[in-house]
Amino acid sequence: MPVVTLYISRLQKLVGKASKDKIIDALPFLGLDIEEQTDQYIRVEYSPNRPDYATDVGIAMGLQGLLGIKKGIAKLAIKKQKDANYSIKTDPAVRKIRPYVLGLVAKGGKLDDEIIRQLIALQEDLHFGVGRKRKKASIGIHNLDSIKLPLSYIAKPKNHKFVPLTKDKEMSVSEILDTMDVGKDYSAILGTGSMVPMILDSQKNTISFPPIINSALTTVTTTNTNLLVEVTGNEPSTVSDILSVMASALQGLGFTLYDIKTDKKSSADSLKTRTILLDPSMVNQTLGLNLSSVQICNMLRKCRLDATIKSKKIHCTIPSYRFDIFGPMDLVEEVALGYGIQNLSPTLPSSVSVGQKSKTTLRLDQIGQIMIGLGFTEALNSSLTSKQVLYDNTKRDASKLIEVAESKSQEHTVLRDSILPGMLENLSKNIHEQYPQKLFETGMIFSANSPIKESISLACVSAHKDSGYTEIKSILQSLLKTNSKIECKTKTAENPMFAKGKTADVIVGDKKIGVIGEVNSEVIENFKIRVPVSGFELVLSDFVL
Amino acid sequence: MSLVLHPIEKTIIKLLQSEKNLTELQIIEKAKLSADQTRRGIEWLRLKNLAIVTETEQIFLTLGKNGLDAQKDGLPERKLVNLVADAPVPFDDLRKKLLDEMNIAIANAKKNDWITIAKNDSGSIVSLKKKPDQTDEEKVLAQIGQNKILQNQIKDLAALESLKKRPDYIILESVKTKSLSLSEQAKSVDVDAADSGAIDVEADVPLIYAAKTHPLKDTINEIREIFVSLGFTEIAGNLTQPGFWNFDALFTPQDHPAREMQDTFYIKDKLAKDFATQSQINSVSTSHKKGWKYSWSLVAAKKMVLRTHTTCVTIKYLAENKPSEARVFSLGRVFRNEKVSYKHLVEFNQVEGIIIGKNVSLRDLMGIQTQFYKKLGLTKIKFWPTFFPYTEPSLQTMVYNEKLDKWIELFGMGIFRPEVTKPFGITRPVLAWGGGIERIAMLKYGLNDVREFYNNNLSWLRSTPKCQ
Repeated sequence: MPVVTLYISRLQKLVGKASKDKIIDALPFLGLDIEEQTDQYIRVEYSPNRPDYATDVGIAMGLQGLLGIKKGIAKLAIKKQKDANYSIKTDPAVRKIRPYVLGLVAKGGKLDDEIIRQLIALQEDLHFGVGRKRKKASIGIHNLDSIKLPLSYIAKPKNHKFVPLTKDKEMSVSEILDTMDVGKDYSAILGTGSMVPMILDSQKNTISFPPIINSALTTVTTTNTNLLVEVTGNEPSTVSDILSVMASALQGLGFTLYDIKTDKKSSADSLKTRTILLDPSMVNQTLGLNLSSVQICNMLRKCRLDATIKSKKIHCTIPSYRFDIFGPMDLVEEVALGYGIQNLSPTLPSSVSVGQKSKTTLRLDQIGQIMIGLGFTEALNSSLTSKQVLYDNTKRDASKLIEVAESKSQEHTVLRDSILPGMLENLSKNIHEQYPQKLFETGMIFSANSPIKESISLACVSAHKDSGYTEIKSILQSLLKTNSKIECKTKTAENPMFAKGKTADVIVGDKKIGVIGEVNSEVIENFKIRVPVSGFELVLSDFVL
Repeated sequence: MSLVLHPIEKTIIKLLQSEKNLTELQIIEKAKLSADQTRRGIEWLRLKNLAIVTETEQIFLTLGKNGLDAQKDGLPERKLVNLVADAPVPFDDLRKKLLDEMNIAIANAKKNDWITIAKNDSGSIVSLKKKPDQTDEEKVLAQIGQNKILQNQIKDLAALESLKKRPDYIILESVKTKSLSLSEQAKSVDVDAADSGAIDVEADVPLIYAAKTHPLKDTINEIREIFVSLGFTEIAGNLTQPGFWNFDALFTPQDHPAREMQDTFYIKDKLAKDFATQSQINSVSTSHKKGWKYSWSLVAAKKMVLRTHTTCVTIKYLAENKPSEARVFSLGRVFRNEKVSYKHLVEFNQVEGIIIGKNVSLRDLMGIQTQFYKKLGLTKIKFWPTFFPYTEPSLQTMVYNEKLDKWIELFGMGIFRPEVTKPFGITRPVLAWGGGIERIAMLKYGLNDVREFYNNNLSWLRSTPKCQ
């Protein structure tokens, strides 16, 4: 989850009329988790579905609502510019690469290091989350005063050159994609074609190479007061969603916003509010409350939305940056937040029902009790284990192994098709503990079968200086008899894990349901165990579950 | 009343009937008992009033470094008279030979009246007055020699005191010894006639360990019992699931970061077959297209994953049974592709319960939650809003932990989004809640490292008490 740093004095100024303690106490009720708190700052985690909380202005707006300082929508005022130069013209060739573009001019703001830091953090969070690592959409923020409007959004060959941000000499597109980190990270988005998207100004200066990097020409510094924001992407709704978050943050920071026309829609057209109808009875039923429509409207307004009542329905107006709101149920949550979760008192559902455990759980409990009665202690292992333990050390057949892709942990790459190998691994880690060591485990095993079959298995091992076949067969027979009056046979077999002549298949009726034996000395050696081990494994799903 | 005596007691009594008074060491030696048996035997006899234990302190003497040197080379004053034995020697020459011992040698020799000191032009000169015999101090030094002897063996206490004043000549060591004599009653006991049925009931015995369930399993069972007691019925499902049930059915878009291999385990080369009905697939795909505005892929939905939560079991149950009224829960292993650390496992247990019903509300969900925690012994709880992709509204529980003196996040909860339930024709609200079990077990067992649950370290398994 993304994290944002809030400087308390700045936040207090932005919120206005609220004590420090009141502000800090209210943060969790906006859905923000406090990660770290010092005298100067607080670090909070916010949900990726609320990118407007990536800056302190966004959070201040939310706090103002909850604390009742300011309610209702903070309207986006985007001035239409009569100047025809406030436009981006799109070249048809670029539509095949990264088709959508929107832009905005923000004037008369004040930048300092903290604000620039927050804008960059906001940009990065939007790139990562909503923009899906820049694939759906990406943002460029520029110093407007170094740009001659209008802009053109065009396709350029890879030998096109410009000075990229943070560099001081010209580089070709190919060089940028091959040598710069951002180039390497995001070049896949552009596909394999020979042309790339580029934004140029009217003087043919390169402004931006979306979604990779800006030009050094338009680098934003603390002396700038006028900015240009452009958003490009593959998904039109994501492009306007992202622009709306940027617009709302910049307006909150004190900039005046101006529209930029594009071929299809202007940015102002894209950032309009929408209205969702809300049934007050649904709100009350879902939350278990009995609120009047007027109260519901007030709570929505505390969440910085607008709401009015028209013929018994609530008409809720939603600003463009709240694209996390899909429908009425999302508004119910807003009402809950406006009401204050701390004010909701728990009740109990009136329905009565009788609970019960699953049959499998009951059976496994019974089997476990008998194993404990026989002196075996319960072990628990991961079902995701390693080829080493499962096959190499035990000499078992690995031809049907089921593997997961790109595991971050070497010990967890293969789904177990047997529990016994893991138990030998347990014994190998306990060689300094007192013997006899007797362990059992019940759990899921996996086999390849259109596509995967899951069965519940029971395994046990007995390790001590006198451990042997007779002992473990006694355990096996006693278990099956005591648990379910099942008689089993042990039929001579071969199994690479067990010693020759000291292993058998376990047969119930005519069906093989498991294996039993003395573990092969080579396998014991592989696990660095120093005493004899015998054991068995039964696929319970095949006969008792 | 006949006396019951342990063989150890009999041995000691017999010995004391002939020897009257013996120290612990002497008993060990003469009775051929171990130190531990002797000590225990003495204690039993004392408690039965059969023996009287007296503790005596003895002081042993040995020579310190300076004492050993003096015993070998003579006391400083002896060295001095030896140097001037044949002819007077100038003061300065003596100092060169005696070094640090010069002052003490001159002082003692003069005090004993062995030497005279005369002054001439070139300084002082020392000459022998009379050749002394062996002094009392020298006799004591010789008596101790290399040995450790009892202080009361030295008769010349004045000489000993004077040696004690010299630095590092004599080392004193105090040893407390228990000695044992028989009480009047015991003196007349006929040992051979006494019963010898008693055993050493206080001796250490070999350790054995009771076999038992795994501590994590105990927590799992406890939680399962709580769910059942709250009226929930257990359901189960596969650990391997098609992306469809793990993600798509829960309205998680196919390009969502949680679906990437970095977070989720995909099973290599496995695609699900017949995993859902055509109408289920159609309605889920429509819901995605409408809500997320992208082209939904059937192949992505078929890819097999290790389930990342138990919610896939819940939604499949809802889709297949369409209950109008129910309380069910599922509990089991879930998987995340994470680096294993003290706080993260790739595989852990999760539990999730749902209530579906006509008029169930968010407050009911909070109420059932409160009951659940109460049964776990957690009474100080609060709720905070949060975000989960498939519930709306969503809350999380914060529970106050006395040991850690802080609020910690436990289970999450919410009402299934209409985008999740509507495609399967479920119209009534579904209250859902759940979370990881290891986190609760860690609090219960006071563990800081979650890996301990799967290490199967026998000393931990054997020593962790069943009752927590």
